[in-house]
Amino acid sequence: MKIIKLLSILVAAVLATSACGGSSGELTIQDAWVRPARAGENGAAYFVITNGTTADDTLLSITSEIASATEVHMSMGDANGVMSMQMQESVTLTARDKVEFKPGGLHVMFVNLTRDLKVGDTIPLVLNFENAGSLTIDVPVKAP
Amino acid sequence: MIKKNQYFLLFIMTAVIALGVLVEVVFRRPYSFHGTVINPPLPVTDFTLQTANNEAFRLSDQKGKIVLLFFGYTSCPDVCPVTLATFKQVYDNLGEDSQKVRFVMITADPDRDTPDKVSEYVARFSPEFIGLSGNRSALEPIWKQLGVFVEKQDSGSAAGYLVSHTSSVYVLDPNGSLLMTFPYGTTEIDMANDLAQLLKQSKQ
Repeated sequence: MKIIKLLSILVAAVLATSACGGSSGELTIQDAWVRPARAGENGAAYFVITNGTTADDTLLSITSEIASATEVHMSMGDANGVMSMQMQESVTLTARDKVEFKPGGLHVMFVNLTRDLKVGDTIPLVLNFENAGSLTIDVPVKAP
Repeated sequence: MIKKNQYFLLFIMTAVIALGVLVEVVFRRPYSFHGTVINPPLPVTDFTLQTANNEAFRLSDQKGKIVLLFFGYTSCPDVCPVTLATFKQVYDNLGEDSQKVRFVMITADPDRDTPDKVSEYVARFSPEFIGLSGNRSALEPIWKQLGVFVEKQDSGSAAGYLVSHTSSVYVLDPNGSLLMTFPYGTTEIDMANDLAQLLKQSKQ
C-alpha cells in the first residue's frame, strides 16, 4: 500500500510539471538572428515568438536604429514558383501558440541599412506588442 | 529439437536472400533526380549580359560547363540571400566538381541593379559566383524563354517597389540547353547530388 501511495504521488508530480512545461505564462522571443548585409542594402531578421499567456496578443511594430525603416514582411510562393513579399500591418499571436519568423516566410525587413551587419555583431531590436508592451532583444548577426 | 533448428536455418537463409534482393534493387536502380527534368533538353538562345566592370558574359562562352541560373534582385532581403546561401553550400559540397559548374544570378530588377551591384552582391557569398544585369531589352527575352515571371509590385514598403519573381534555379547542360529546374526550397544536398550525377553522365 505504501508503494502505491508513493507511486501516485510521483505520477501526480510528473503530471504537474509537464502541464507547466508547455508555457511559461509569458510572451517570449527566442532563436533570433540577423542575416549579414551591407549599409544601403535591405536586411532581414528571424525569431520565434511564443505567446505563453492565456490571451491573444498582437505584434504591432518593430523598431531598430540600424535602418531607415523596419517592417514585417511575408515571403510567399505560388504554384508556379513565383515568390513575392507582402508587408504585414500586424501579426496575431494566438494564446499558447507560437509564430515562427523564418527564411522564405515571415521575416523582419530592414529597409536601407544605415550600417554594415557583420557576423559577430549584435543588434538591439524593439518589438511592440498590444498586451506585452515593448520588449527589447539583442540579436546576433549570423551566417545562415 | 532438430526440426526447430532446421526451421531456424531456413528462416536465416530466406532472410539472407531477401536482403540480397533488396540490396540489388536499391543499388542497381537508376539515379532519380530531385529537380524537375526537362526532356528533351530545351536549347536556350545565346545571350550576352554584363557582369562586374561592365564585362560581357556570353552564355555560349560557358560551353562545357553546367550553368546554374537564378533570377533575383539585390534589394530582396529574404528569398534571394537564401538561394545564394544554398548556392554556396552546393559549391562547397561539390568539391573539385564545383569548377565544372557556373553559379549565376541574373537580376529581375534592371532599373535598380547595375552589373556591378549584382556582382558585388553575389561575390559576398563566393568570389566565384557571377552576377549579371543588362538592359531590359536584353533581359526580357531570357526571362520569357525560360518562363521566368518578373513583376514590380507596389508594396507600401519604405523600400519602394518590390519584385515578384520566379524563384526556381535553372540548370543548363554543358551544351547550353535547359535540362532541369530546382524549385525554391530544394536542399543543398539534393542539388549537389543531382549536379554530381549530371557531371558523371556528361563524362560518359
